[in-house]
Amino acid sequence: MAATLAIVRRDLVRWARNPGRLVLLLGMPLALAAIFALAFGTGGEAGLTVRVLVIDEDGTALSEFLSGALGSQEDTGPLDVEIVGEEGRAMIERGEASALVIIPEGFTDAFLDGRPATLRLIKNPAEQFLPQAVEEALRAAAVVLSQASRTFRDELAEFSAMLAADHSPDPVAIGAMSTRIAAKLQTVEPYLFPPVIELETISADGGDESDDGPSMQAVLSLVLPGLAVLSLLFFAQAATRDVMEEREHGLLRRLLSAPVGTGEYLLAKCVSVVTVSALGFALLIGIGRLAGVAWGPPVAVIGLVLSASIAASGLLLLLVSLVSSEMAANALTTIVVMVSAMVGGSFVPLPALPDFLLPVARLTVNYWATSGFLVLIRDGGGPADVVPQIGVLAGGGLAMLAVGAFRLARRIRAGDV
Amino acid sequence: MLSVRDLAKRFGEIRAVDGISFDVQDGEIFGLLGPNGAGKTTTISMISGVLAPDGGQVLVDGQDVWARPKQVKRLLGVVPQEIAVYEDLTARDNLVFWASLYGLRGAQRRAAIDRALERVGLADRAADRVRTFSGGMKRRLNLSMGLIHEPKFLLLDEPTVGIDPQARLAILEIVREVAASGTTVLYTTHYMDEAEKLCDRVAIIDHGRILATGTLDELTRLAGEGELLRLTGSFTADALRERLGALDGVEPRRLADGFALLARRPDGPGLAQLLPRLLDAEAGVDDVAIQRPSLEAVFIALTGRALRD
Ligand SMILES: Nc1ncnc2c1ncn2[C@@H]1O[C@H](COP(=O)(O)OP(=O)(O)O)[C@@H](O)[C@H]1O
Ligand SMILES: [Mg+2]
Repeated sequence: MAATLAIVRRDLVRWARNPGRLVLLLGMPLALAAIFALAFGTGGEAGLTVRVLVIDEDGTALSEFLSGALGSQEDTGPLDVEIVGEEGRAMIERGEASALVIIPEGFTDAFLDGRPATLRLIKNPAEQFLPQAVEEALRAAAVVLSQASRTFRDELAEFSAMLAADHSPDPVAIGAMSTRIAAKLQTVEPYLFPPVIELETISADGGDESDDGPSMQAVLSLVLPGLAVLSLLFFAQAATRDVMEEREHGLLRRLLSAPVGTGEYLLAKCVSVVTVSALGFALLIGIGRLAGVAWGPPVAVIGLVLSASIAASGLLLLLVSLVSSEMAANALTTIVVMVSAMVGGSFVPLPALPDFLLPVARLTVNYWATSGFLVLIRDGGGPADVVPQIGVLAGGGLAMLAVGAFRLARRIRAGDV
Repeated sequence: MLSVRDLAKRFGEIRAVDGISFDVQDGEIFGLLGPNGAGKTTTISMISGVLAPDGGQVLVDGQDVWARPKQVKRLLGVVPQEIAVYEDLTARDNLVFWASLYGLRGAQRRAAIDRALERVGLADRAADRVRTFSGGMKRRLNLSMGLIHEPKFLLLDEPTVGIDPQARLAILEIVREVAASGTTVLYTTHYMDEAEKLCDRVAIIDHGRILATGTLDELTRLAGEGELLRLTGSFTADALRERLGALDGVEPRRLADGFALLARRPDGPGLAQLLPRLLDAEAGVDDVAIQRPSLEAVFIALTGRALRD
């Protein structure tokens, strides 16, 4: 047992010593989420524009500057800001814009005098979005995300180059893969779109009129669970890769020459793969929380994180136990992870998944974990509502973990070390 | 004492180890010398409890490795042929991990790590990632990991493969020091000179079988050779043959005009008596080169081929 703990500790130290690996695995889904948000953003071309009207009653230099800043940005993406006169009130009544911003008379004076300067916001009653929130969120999205995606595409090549030097060929595969993912995302953009629009009605129920930016949240809430699950699988893949690496570099043979039993070794491997996966997953959930995603009741979230981590670990360990070289393992696990992401709701939000894919989707970790989060986030479900998902994930995961470990043990005992 | 009895392992049709036996006495450096594929690594793996033998037994201080793996493994320090260290960790990280596998903790572990680093001359690089090390330094770290728990027996599997001659000498020196401090060493290699320089006794292994075991002297004698004398000069083959007839203790191996290769019989007269008579002005011998008998010669005698191919 001491040996088991020592191995787990060593595995975790290795992760801590390789922040690059961590950043890549965390960054990938976040960058992908950014692309998704951009799909929402570039929707301007497809007709989805958040139109904000501005009535400048103040008419001073400051107010002109303000409305100019809102309206004259070169690349505001989905945000269409229009300076209008009094007719703006009628336009918003007719639902022709999402929001009307009124810079009232005396705004500048108040601002200069240090008195409270109020901007008046009138929202489109048909849309439940608070205009300022829409504006802030989308402006942030436009600036930050368009920037992010612009760099993201260039960085991908660098990512792979950086990691090529850092580690065995795998991260390169990951890099290449994320390139492919990005390409794929663009081709599936049209399909992503409807659910994003649907999302307006989702957050409409919430009727949240606080200062948060509901649309950003809504986009993230929709895409992050699936991507976080994909990332979870990548974490599990990276962690199980160590099993193959250890074997091919004589580390396993060395380990077994120490007073470490095969069972202790494999138990340690299971524990560290699950731990790494769960920590990575939890980190993403945390980042999502900071970005405003309301994941749901902590107990339910923890249950889903743990059970999904066990499932991801079990799947990857089982896959690795089926092949006999690091390269074969990389190929097999990458294919399985990508396919299950495609059909399991990591790229296409589950509600948009074609019916005929459902039976296949139900075989994936992605489907069960993502649908669990969907129940919590969209339907406002509680712990009891995700028991089926947790059950399937934990049960299936433990079974796969056991079979994988058993197969590996048999291999080690047969002298394949 | 480490006893190997009729140890055997086959992989499919290949008899990787085909019934070998030898004893490593306490305190000695025992060499297992053989070409690539001879079965050295397979042997080490079976001794260290990693690979289950098909037949035979390994007794470490009388205990069977496979019957009591945990107890016996504590007595063994194993340095595998590969550089089995985590390159993304520091040297100290690697040693901390390794030491904890043997149950070392706290101050005791720190002391063991410092001692191991000191022994292999890596104390000043302890905090650096192994990735930044030279090949020789990695080899030394690899070695230090086998020493961390102060094992009674150290099993080294080709610990100098792939490094430059200077780094090799450093490793050999460390092994000598370790042995001098009382550790029993089993050392596998395919380098003749390492076996000659380092080992008290050597077993020559080929195709999974041990061809001969003994001290250097015993082995070289086994091949039936004393020193070889290489003569060059203006002599004719016939004249030299006549002259040699009067000399006992040397056997001609090759005789030609101006060139001769003679083997000195170990039981014959010493070099001090032979040389003046060979270098006699009338004999026409200008030069005598003396070649010590070597394991290379023994290996060729035993297998009919050179070790290095
Ligand atoms: N896991 C294995 N599977 C099949 N053959 C093996 C395996 N390990 C070693 N061998 C074969 O056994 C023989 C001895 O190998 P090895 O013990 O590695 O030799 P050495 O260490 O002396 O170079 C070789 O022919 C090698 O190809
Ligand atoms: Mg070998």
